Amino acid sequence: MASHYEAPIRKPLITGNKTYHQISVDVARPIEGNANKQWWIVFSIALILFMWGIVCIIYTISTGIGVWGLNKTVGWAWDITNFVWWVGIGHAGTLISAVLLLFRQKWRMGINRSAEAMTIFSVIQAGLFPLIHMGRPWLAYWIVPIPNTFGSLWVNFNSPLLWDVFAISTYLTVSLVFWWTGLLPDFAMIRDRAVKPFQKKIYSLVSFGWSGRAKDWQRFEEVSLVLAGLATPLVLSVHTIVSFDFATSIIPGWHTTIFPPYFVAGAIFSGFAMVNTLLIVMRKVCNLEDYITLQHIELMNIVIMITGSIVGCAYITELFIAWYSGVEYEQYAFLNRATGPYWWAYWAMMTCNVFSPQLMWFKKLRTSIVFSFVISIVVNIGMWFERFVIIVTSLHRDYLPSSWTMFSPSFIDIGIFLGTIGFFFVLFLLYARTFPVIAQAEVKTILKSSGDNYKKIRDKNGK
Amino acid sequence: MSQEKRYWKSEIELKPNNGLDEIRNNEFVDKLPVDENIFSNDSVNNSETNRRDFLKYLGFSTTAAVLASCEGPVNRSVPYVVQPDRIIPGISNYYATTLFDGYDSANVLVKTREGRPIKIDNNKLSSYNGYANARLNASVLSLYDSGRVQGPTINKEDVSWNNFNKNIKAQLNSLKSLNQQVVLLTSTVNSPTSKKIISEFLNKYPNVEHIEYDSISESSVLDAHELMYGTRALPYYDFQNAKCIVSIGADFLGDWQGSNYDHDYVKGRIPNKENGKASMSKHIQVESNLSITGSNADLRIPISVDDQKLFLAYLYQKLSDSSISLKSVPEKLAKKIDYVYDQLLLSPSKSVVLCGLDDLNAHIITNRINDLLKSNVKSTSKVSLVRNGSDSKMNNFLTRINKGEIKGLIMNGVNPCYTLSNSNAFSEALKKLNFSVSFSMKIDETANFCSHLAATPHQLESWGDFEFINGEFSLTQPTIKPLFDTKQLEDCLLNWLDSENSFYDRIKDNWKNNILDSSTYWNSSLHDGVYSSKVKKRLVDKKSNSNLTNLNYSKYASELSSSKSEGYDLILYSKIGMGDGQQANNPWLQEFPDPLTRVSWDNYITVSKFDADEIGLKNYNESNGALNSNFAQINLDNTVIKAPVIIQPGQARGTVGLAFGYGRSDGVKEEMRTGVNAFKIYKGFSKHQKVKISSVYEIHEFACVQLHNTLMGRGDIIKETTLEIFNSKDKEFWNPIPKVSKNHIETAVNSREVDIWNEFDRSIGHHFNLSIDLNACTGCGACVIACHAENNVPVVGKEEVRKSRDMHWLRIDRYYSSESEFSSDIEKKENISGLGESLSVFGEMEEPSENPQVVFQPVMCQHCNHAPCETVCPVAASAHGRQGQNHMTYNRCVGTRYCANNCPYKVRRFNWFLYNNNDEFDFHMNDDLGKMVLNPDVVVRSRGVMEKCSFCIQGTQSVILKAKNEGREANANEFNDVVACSAACSTGALNFGDINNKESEVYKRKQDERVYHLLEYVGTKPNVFYHTKVRNIDKNKSI
Repeated sequence: MASHYEAPIRKPLITGNKTYHQISVDVARPIEGNANKQWWIVFSIALILFMWGIVCIIYTISTGIGVWGLNKTVGWAWDITNFVWWVGIGHAGTLISAVLLLFRQKWRMGINRSAEAMTIFSVIQAGLFPLIHMGRPWLAYWIVPIPNTFGSLWVNFNSPLLWDVFAISTYLTVSLVFWWTGLLPDFAMIRDRAVKPFQKKIYSLVSFGWSGRAKDWQRFEEVSLVLAGLATPLVLSVHTIVSFDFATSIIPGWHTTIFPPYFVAGAIFSGFAMVNTLLIVMRKVCNLEDYITLQHIELMNIVIMITGSIVGCAYITELFIAWYSGVEYEQYAFLNRATGPYWWAYWAMMTCNVFSPQLMWFKKLRTSIVFSFVISIVVNIGMWFERFVIIVTSLHRDYLPSSWTMFSPSFIDIGIFLGTIGFFFVLFLLYARTFPVIAQAEVKTILKSSGDNYKKIRDKNGK
Repeated sequence: MSQEKRYWKSEIELKPNNGLDEIRNNEFVDKLPVDENIFSNDSVNNSETNRRDFLKYLGFSTTAAVLASCEGPVNRSVPYVVQPDRIIPGISNYYATTLFDGYDSANVLVKTREGRPIKIDNNKLSSYNGYANARLNASVLSLYDSGRVQGPTINKEDVSWNNFNKNIKAQLNSLKSLNQQVVLLTSTVNSPTSKKIISEFLNKYPNVEHIEYDSISESSVLDAHELMYGTRALPYYDFQNAKCIVSIGADFLGDWQGSNYDHDYVKGRIPNKENGKASMSKHIQVESNLSITGSNADLRIPISVDDQKLFLAYLYQKLSDSSISLKSVPEKLAKKIDYVYDQLLLSPSKSVVLCGLDDLNAHIITNRINDLLKSNVKSTSKVSLVRNGSDSKMNNFLTRINKGEIKGLIMNGVNPCYTLSNSNAFSEALKKLNFSVSFSMKIDETANFCSHLAATPHQLESWGDFEFINGEFSLTQPTIKPLFDTKQLEDCLLNWLDSENSFYDRIKDNWKNNILDSSTYWNSSLHDGVYSSKVKKRLVDKKSNSNLTNLNYSKYASELSSSKSEGYDLILYSKIGMGDGQQANNPWLQEFPDPLTRVSWDNYITVSKFDADEIGLKNYNESNGALNSNFAQINLDNTVIKAPVIIQPGQARGTVGLAFGYGRSDGVKEEMRTGVNAFKIYKGFSKHQKVKISSVYEIHEFACVQLHNTLMGRGDIIKETTLEIFNSKDKEFWNPIPKVSKNHIETAVNSREVDIWNEFDRSIGHHFNLSIDLNACTGCGACVIACHAENNVPVVGKEEVRKSRDMHWLRIDRYYSSESEFSSDIEKKENISGLGESLSVFGEMEEPSENPQVVFQPVMCQHCNHAPCETVCPVAASAHGRQGQNHMTYNRCVGTRYCANNCPYKVRRFNWFLYNNNDEFDFHMNDDLGKMVLNPDVVVRSRGVMEKCSFCIQGTQSVILKAKNEGREANANEFNDVVACSAACSTGALNFGDINNKESEVYKRKQDERVYHLLEYVGTKPNVFYHTKVRNIDKNKSI
């Protein structure tokens, strides 16, 4: 796959005069070394948040959904907002690993491992919410079409919630398989380097007996390609189906045909932002600046800028269509979104999602690490607000003014959200210490074409 | 002839003297193994029971056994040992009875299941009082109040009724011998038999005086009637004939004069077209507080109490053509008086003026006006007897008891320590009495201070008879064995009279001898619950008729107009939910949202926006939408009341309102001790007081179920038109079906052309529809409580309602117009041009007008044929029924709440918590007694499931099964009576039935051109339909 030639104008993707061995050493370092103090501090905070989230979830399940801030008019708020937010974040991984693979974008190799890990961890967070938002979560298995002895009970295939079940579970499965497949040679590398017998045992287990023979590599390449082909439609389908939860309903503000592309764009937007957030920190902490270069960050910033513009376009289209439809409920729903009691949420969304990514047009800004980090956080705040705006401001003032009310989160709502953030970081931090965070086997394939030392040699030789 | 054959059984028989005969005759071949000693003379002689005694025992026990096996009259209901044929588990039994608690009255049917009363239904045989209001509907829950007194006490110690009665008798006799005053203080007694028993009691104890006391007095009306017509009674009005109703402060659809007029009133308010023209009565309401009556009026004139008096005086002056010196009125008001006068004279005999002012002069003038109009609406033959209290007698009594002239007091059905403005003085006086008896179900404010507490049964456990309207009698019978060791006042009085009869005996005797005619049997009248006397004599004494002409009406009129003083007018009123506060411990009523403010669990000062700004009072919403206010302080002389504030559109400037019935302190659970006691300021038994108001900077948290008050110009939620347009224009003009474009052709949304769904086959079986006539709905809320009772809807409490989590399956939305009329709202919205204007206009439209039009709209599950909830449920818990219902399968529900989100009507209710068996919700579903009210036909929902209106499927199925068992088709209108809301509706606004049956009322209603569906354009095709509201207003006339 990997050719050794690359156009000289392309920026190097691996810097620091790396050799193959150095790459192995760099990638294995976090696993083989001891965790530093910062890791422990961040891990403890994440663990505390996670535990607090568990307490809140247990309290909810034992007492009732009433401990949240929901009411008769607003039946979903933070629960589904968080769900969609996490699913959206989970989008970047597949896009980077599958779509960019198909498009032969080699810069993905430095980031795809962590992006996919993020995908899986955030889909786990996302999957939590549909479960706990149920009034009777102990009956959650009823939404799966299991042959049963309860009589002629069967699921309702008309319901978008059921589609969600399939979409999310498929996505999680494919992502996991894809991720693990990519991990096999890397695990094997760690295994081969491991000196402690326990570590060796574990890594030989998880590397599924990778031997490094040419046949292994050939199969590996084939499977990767097939999985990429399978996963690519999922990038579009998952968030499309999530958007159906809203688009197929009849609530003004939800009932919009623009939702599928709008949601997919938004998901990629927030997913890349989250990748940026994570990797900007990780490259520093794990000394991976040579593999996740400024070039990577800049490219991701460009994706953020483009998807942000698509999302902005969608927002404006929505407003236009609401006005153009001539339906008074539709018109009022959007007027209320922008100027009603939740105007601050709408404008927070607009500022974060539409205005802030536009700054990426400036090369200086999009190549600034600090700025990229700040924007990546801002974008994720904005995307959370987008889901909140769609869900809550559409529901809180729908058709009959007699039912209009407001929503305000309880501390349990907040606790569960923080808990999932904690859970996500617990998983990610554990991952960072135990998994090869860079797809080193793949990176090695481009060392000779995109490594700065080889590029320099080629420049010197004038090839 | 053949010889009879003889068979021998063995050959021994053939031998003579075989000894077989001996064996046959001697049963015991061997000697009996009996102890010889038994028959020895010693034991017989020594025994105390000789032969004669033995025969006596035998005789007596046989007689006793025979007597015991004869059926005697059962006066006390006992639990069944052998189940009678009539009582079938699972089948409801209905008993006709009458409810009267001194405030509310109605002839009702009580639905009992397995011996438990579980619901109040209307008694259709009753022609005057057959509709239970919200409070009476809820009274079945008060029966199962866990705080009830379970037996008589003396000085707070349990005693037996024997000792109790002995004790009282001794007290009475000793006071009699000393000739010291004893007072029997009761609520209004309009029971013929009770009256007799009381008069016997007064005869035996001449030192006893009987005083009737109404917590909310109608004394001025009674006084006026007595003065003019010689009878102490309330006038009765027959609204069916009314063409023009002018009400001056009379909330006759609410609690005015204890009336039940809504049924008759609404008959004249439904515009049914005959020969293409419809007519309806004109209703003009002049009032200060916005009442539900005012909300239903065609024209509402909000003015202060003084102005109302002036209004009345001027009206009289114009009608009588007399020149009375009256204070001048502002030109604006004068114009209105002219208009009202013109309206009255359009058909004077069919016009009526009603008065709710607490002023003798006002009632004399009102009666005079009606007499001058020769109004047929004011009945000449009927009077209402539901109130009989006299302020002067009561004042006199209070002076005497405070002076210590009275030594004993027996109270029944009253709670003066709560309802008197100077209750502290009264309770002090109580303590000084030789003895004081309170007949009460609770240890209430008064019973607390009484030496004797007589536990009384609930009305549903009692006997009684009533005459609410002269000549119209009704009976109360127990529907359950008294739950506790209780006795009624009448039974005790009979005991104190040493009578051997029970109250039941006396009622029966009295009815047989004095009330029923020869052709009516006691049993049949007990079955019916009502009896209309064929003898049209007035049982009320009539003094003289001459008064009418001798009275100096001009004097009354000028007196009426002269009152004017400084300060705010405080108008005390009673809320639909709480009345006079007797049922404050009833969680259904506490949670019942007020029809107008839609606030539950509270009373409050209603104040106009203008005055609120002036005084510095405000309402605002918290971040979760919940309504808050600051407090206002009312000062009247030395009395200070601090209460929260609701800014009430329609409240006349310079006036404030405050409801009775709240602020109970004793005999109610902690949760129900809500609001402030307005009786504290009910000085001189006057509902109108002049007060000072100031604001207090403290925050009060309300539990309001409707946080947005206006309709935002959304004309397809409430459709309305004027009578003029209704009569002159096509349906297409005033009730068009919304259209969508299909291939650039406008197509009606209900057409199959634009429907992408498959239609259900509705041709076979029943297809249920519910019709709701917005012209007939007065907003009284009886249906809300009936639904609550029928469907085991949980009570969630103030905190939860505050979080917008009320569970009512049926709600009555109330909208105020933002402009002066709803039609102007729509116009205003449609004329918006540009984004900038839409921002400001929608902002303005959120604020109700100062004197808005009001509309009530009952909303429950619309049972859509294309239900948005059904498609989205992942587990198919929401499914469509063959009969048009949208089913909710609680057991299948996993609680995703998607259905509720996707419901455009927002009628689905989620069980946020476990509401039963949970002490966090200490209302009635957590104790054994309170649970007895639960309807066994309806499942009690667990937490985490969605619930909603089921079209009372338990009822419709029971009708279908019954018809099937009887081998017939279900009758056309049979279904209407089993669906809680439509059965409870006194005005017929709600009608339920099968539209596949062309005979049914609902089918006929569906053909009406006023029919529309709520949010028709969404295409949900509901099985509930509404009737366009037609208002009888003259658009062109500016007044």
